Amino acid sequence: MSAHISIPMYQRAVPQRYRLTGKLCKSCGKINFPPKAVCKYCLQGASFEDVRLSGRGAVYSYTVIAGGGAPPEFETEARCKGSYPVLIVELEEGPRVITQMVNPPEEGIAIGMSVQAVFRKIYEEEGVIRYGFKFSPA
Amino acid sequence: MTKSIISCGVYLPYLRIKRDEYLSALGRCSAGMREKTVLDIDEDVITMAVEASRVALAGIDVSRVGVVTVASTGFPYQEKAQAGTLVEALGLEKNVLTAQHSNSTVSGTESLLTALSLLDQTEQPYALVVVSDAPVSGPDVDLEHGFGAAACAFVLAKDEPGLVFEGVYAQSGEAMGLRYRLPGETDIRDIGVKTFAMLDYNETVKGAVTGLANKLGRNLTDYRHVVLHQADAKSATALAKKMGCTDEQIKEGVVYPYTGDTGACSSLLGLCRVLESACAGDCILISSHGSGSGSQALSFCLETPVPKSVVFEAVLGYKRYISYIQYLKQKRSI
Amino acid sequence: MENVAIIGAGQTKYGDFPGMGVKELFAEAYLEMLQSVDRGLEQQRIGAAYIGSLSAGSGFQLGQLAPLLMGHVGLPHVNAVRIENACASGGYALYNAACAVASGKFDMVLAAGVEKMRDVSSNKGRYWLGVSGDTEYERLAGSTFAGIYALMASRYMHEYGLKREHLSMVAAKNHCHAVANPKAQFRKEITIEQAMQGVPVAHPFNVWDCSPTSDGAAVVLLCNAKIAKEFTNKPVYLKGFGAASDYLAIHDRDSMTRLLATRRAATEAYKQAGVGPEDINFAEVHDCFTIAEILAYGDLGFAEEGLAQYLLEEGFTRADGKLPVNASGGLKAKGHPIGATGCGMASEVFKQLRDEAQEPSRQIKNARYALSHNVGGSGGTAAVFIYQRGDA
Ligand SMILES: [Zn+2]
Repeated sequence: MSAHISIPMYQRAVPQRYRLTGKLCKSCGKINFPPKAVCKYCLQGASFEDVRLSGRGAVYSYTVIAGGGAPPEFETEARCKGSYPVLIVELEEGPRVITQMVNPPEEGIAIGMSVQAVFRKIYEEEGVIRYGFKFSPA
Repeated sequence: MTKSIISCGVYLPYLRIKRDEYLSALGRCSAGMREKTVLDIDEDVITMAVEASRVALAGIDVSRVGVVTVASTGFPYQEKAQAGTLVEALGLEKNVLTAQHSNSTVSGTESLLTALSLLDQTEQPYALVVVSDAPVSGPDVDLEHGFGAAACAFVLAKDEPGLVFEGVYAQSGEAMGLRYRLPGETDIRDIGVKTFAMLDYNETVKGAVTGLANKLGRNLTDYRHVVLHQADAKSATALAKKMGCTDEQIKEGVVYPYTGDTGACSSLLGLCRVLESACAGDCILISSHGSGSGSQALSFCLETPVPKSVVFEAVLGYKRYISYIQYLKQKRSI
Repeated sequence: MENVAIIGAGQTKYGDFPGMGVKELFAEAYLEMLQSVDRGLEQQRIGAAYIGSLSAGSGFQLGQLAPLLMGHVGLPHVNAVRIENACASGGYALYNAACAVASGKFDMVLAAGVEKMRDVSSNKGRYWLGVSGDTEYERLAGSTFAGIYALMASRYMHEYGLKREHLSMVAAKNHCHAVANPKAQFRKEITIEQAMQGVPVAHPFNVWDCSPTSDGAAVVLLCNAKIAKEFTNKPVYLKGFGAASDYLAIHDRDSMTRLLATRRAATEAYKQAGVGPEDINFAEVHDCFTIAEILAYGDLGFAEEGLAQYLLEEGFTRADGKLPVNASGGLKAKGHPIGATGCGMASEVFKQLRDEAQEPSRQIKNARYALSHNVGGSGGTAAVFIYQRGDA
């Protein structure tokens, strides 16, 4: 059994997941990612402009999810790799995102290391591949 | 109007397996690569296609791309257009013309030819061609030993300096070749009659290459690089030599030893590699091959060197080796 | 605003009870609560019930759990509602019950919580545990609930030099506390060395850093303080109660080394009670993961942010220390039946402040003020309560 994110729900987030589309607040100029209806920085602005984030950032924090504890929809991945890293990345443009890390360096992950968004399969549900961003060492 | 390749991008998976791993695990390896690329568990031909495209499109205004063509022998869906995923992932305009080629390893050059044609149907100056392939079969199938994974992408432009497309010559026929795949199956079947397959490869590729040279009034020796489809370690080089090519003309386009058989990508991947060292005025010939359908030979002349945002050698060098056991896990065989 | 008192409380033992469902668990806690009311209770005086539960038996009863449970204990007509704020469901049931009494609308209100977590496959259990964060982003980054707290722990270590040992100190302390608690799920002492060697879960956590899945229920009876002495000479006054929210997703929060929801809830509760952290004699805090207790020290004002680990080094928060924290064993060792946890803490405090800790050895002496703290998920919600003994 897995967390159910319906196909329509997933699809509504495609601009965020496929190409990191952020929302630039027209009131304060800061970038909200993921999008909010009201800007999380000025708590006023409700009108936004789409901006494509660079995908460049730095590790703000990290963990390594051990195979046995992975959510059911990531079980195949966990079984293949034994464990996989999850990061909080602080993007160059300001927002932080939570993401899996691919190609982790053999010497280990360090807070502050540079990373770059890549396009990967996240998981499959109802036979549909859910693509999205992960991050790899830059 | 001239049409040129103005940029290219290559993506190779980070994971590699050495031929030695096969030897120590199975006692033999039926393929002659040194090492080959392996898809990670969360990669497929679409994720590779997106990564290669992003490299190719670096510095290009994506809103001016009017055409996307994409090719692979093994898309993740039997029914569902794949170009849409690329359009969203790359942030292209929604009114791009799209085409998708599959079913054969000749689909790579097909998609390039289609993009050249579709460019006439758009006001936009650019077309994106993405070829991404990762042939699959069971670990007990000999052909499988050589199967790698790669993607390459090209931006074609109208009337801009770059690698100018000069012409094409094709060979088609009922040429079974070595491999085929049935509906509903993911594993490629191997007909197992290698000499018969070699005969077909040699005849069709030679037919396309010599036909092209005749059509353009050139000799093969006029080409700085000749890149033929590489489904194994030897055939392409042997055939090129038989047709009179020198080592100099052949060697830089050889990618099989590092990637294994990359299916529809093969000769196009070789093209990306030779573009790194090509100089203005160099002519380049590539030729694809696909079981059951033949070969397409394409001729290019380099007007202005294609800018490189990522160096091919760097892509080859970014890697981590895995064991045969881990390889089977990656393939979900165990 | 009316003053609020607690006049009865009960809870099941926490653990694995294959013979009991949510109804049976709830009934056991309810009946223990009834017995705890010194002069007895006419049940009809209960005006409303707030019942916390996340998944109501792993989803078997998605709607209207509260009337189901109330009908099971002979109170079919009481105004009853289920409250859901993940792991803080019980705390929010208590908070809403307190507000209902304080408003003057009701004289007597039930606050309860129940969770049945142990009769599902581990696969399904993992499913339930991962859906109280921002599922669309946190879960789909492959993270688990432990993973989110692990990210906080990593950052805390990076910013403040917290060591792996400090996490294990929390685990060892709380396991040690649970030994004497008959209601606790794990009554086995572990050493810091053992706690550092568990099976990895999510770096830097191993299995000893994580609270268990548990079955359990807890019920607390609140009334207007004016009538409390009709029922007992030893009411416990709920002097302050605060609750607050934060961005659900961890990546939306400015800091990962504090829970703003806890800070705001604590400020509200302290203000209402007219006391400060220095007045608190013991506390039950939300230690779903070891780092959570360390965060709580800072957020509740027991230590400066970043210095919380030194309280552990000094034994300050041990049962025999100056400020016992989680003398019950905490979520870590007493157990964590999600919806029940917040009310179970109140039940523990109620007994301690009446000098009725079941095992005399674990009675905290001379306590006047106590605090309980319940967090939803990774800090999307939090509720803080300040209690005062009523027999003084
Ligand atoms: Zn704003």
